[in-house]
Amino acid sequence: MLEHTPIQSSGFSNIGPDEDRTGFCLRIRQPNYRGLRMSLVEGIKVVVDEIEYPAATNLYRLGERTYTFDELDAETQARWPVGTAIEVLVDKPGGLDVGVHLVEIEVLLRHPYFPPQFRPAPVHDRRHITIIR
Amino acid sequence: MTSHFQYGVSLYSYTDDFGTVMDLEDAFYHVSETGSTGIEILGETHLPAYPQLETAWLDRWFGLLDKYRLEPTNFASWIDTDIQRRRDMTVEEGARQLTTDLELASRLGFKFVRPKFGVIDEELTPHPIWEGCVERVLDLAAKLDIIIIPEIHSPTPIRHPVVEGYIDFIQRTGTKHFGLLIDTGIFQDRPLPFWQHETPEMRDGAMSFLNGIKVPVEQLAEVIEYTPFIQAKFHHIDEELHDHNIPWEKVIPALKSLGYSGYLSSEYEGKRDPWVAIEQVRRQHALIRKLEREWEQANPSKPKEQRDA
Repeated sequence: MLEHTPIQSSGFSNIGPDEDRTGFCLRIRQPNYRGLRMSLVEGIKVVVDEIEYPAATNLYRLGERTYTFDELDAETQARWPVGTAIEVLVDKPGGLDVGVHLVEIEVLLRHPYFPPQFRPAPVHDRRHITIIR
Repeated sequence: MTSHFQYGVSLYSYTDDFGTVMDLEDAFYHVSETGSTGIEILGETHLPAYPQLETAWLDRWFGLLDKYRLEPTNFASWIDTDIQRRRDMTVEEGARQLTTDLELASRLGFKFVRPKFGVIDEELTPHPIWEGCVERVLDLAAKLDIIIIPEIHSPTPIRHPVVEGYIDFIQRTGTKHFGLLIDTGIFQDRPLPFWQHETPEMRDGAMSFLNGIKVPVEQLAEVIEYTPFIQAKFHHIDEELHDHNIPWEKVIPALKSLGYSGYLSSEYEGKRDPWVAIEQVRRQHALIRKLEREWEQANPSKPKEQRDA
């Protein structure tokens, strides 16, 4: 089972070969009480040590499939289930330094049963997590 | 003989515990430990391969129902009318969604399906496709013997066009497979704590319903004949069995006087620290059972012979 906070520490890792990191990966547990069609997920903004990585430029990996921000809206069938984590893939040449980072996220979820002015609704989380290598 | 309430728990109560510190069997155990006979689930939450149903999961489901002596009550469904950023669902898509959920609910043994339609305003007026969607699946609901029950949920009170629209629909179609689910949050008469990021300005404005919309419990009489299921929404019950938001000491006698004998399905919606929900649900069951017992002692029913005479 997953860590209780939406931000997962396990899985926080650099991407790419050791000498040529291209970015990093952050796992996020479905923070809503029901699994959502991907078209209801309006992206995830990531902030690491106060540097912002906007939702529109991140990639989202769910199982075998990787979505761009625009592709999320087109995916009206596949769902991000409760009790599972999505991987946010962030482009950052050189990757992140080994060590502890302050990571913040904003997940935007569109709940059709919320009044229009509350769509999308944000979910925030903030946690210190560690890059091992 | 007086008819008693039926007691159940919605697994919604265990949000955030489920999938982190609680699996499906743990959830069954905690529900059965309250003395409940019914279990309510959310399709898109508790079916791991939703909308698919894997054979192994189905076997496990029936095994757990048997082991913990629980019956399926209500199956929660969502009609995501605002399905894409620039496109709403069509009636046909909505009807297909309801068909999927009715069929899933039937295979799992449920008697009720709660569709949550997208809304178009602050008063939670459902998207206009709701009526066409429901009308298209009424025959199927009849065939499966399932009642479709949209919920009346704060900030929508009982006396409201949304409720009138649903009752008009029942009267126009004559259906016995559509009704109302009352969420007891409409009776909340004291404020909820502020949510994450909520400001006093927000609470005074669009979020003012979180102070409680205080529907008078007497108004239950106006809708009880259309209400086969109740979600017992609550937020915090303290060590003295005192609920900080929902006036159970009014709600329970009102339901007893009206002869309600359907389910009260617990919906805990409060602090999400691990394992808090388990104890909160137990407190609610202790509190409601106590109030039911007190009402029955104060209103002993007449022996059957006398009633029939």
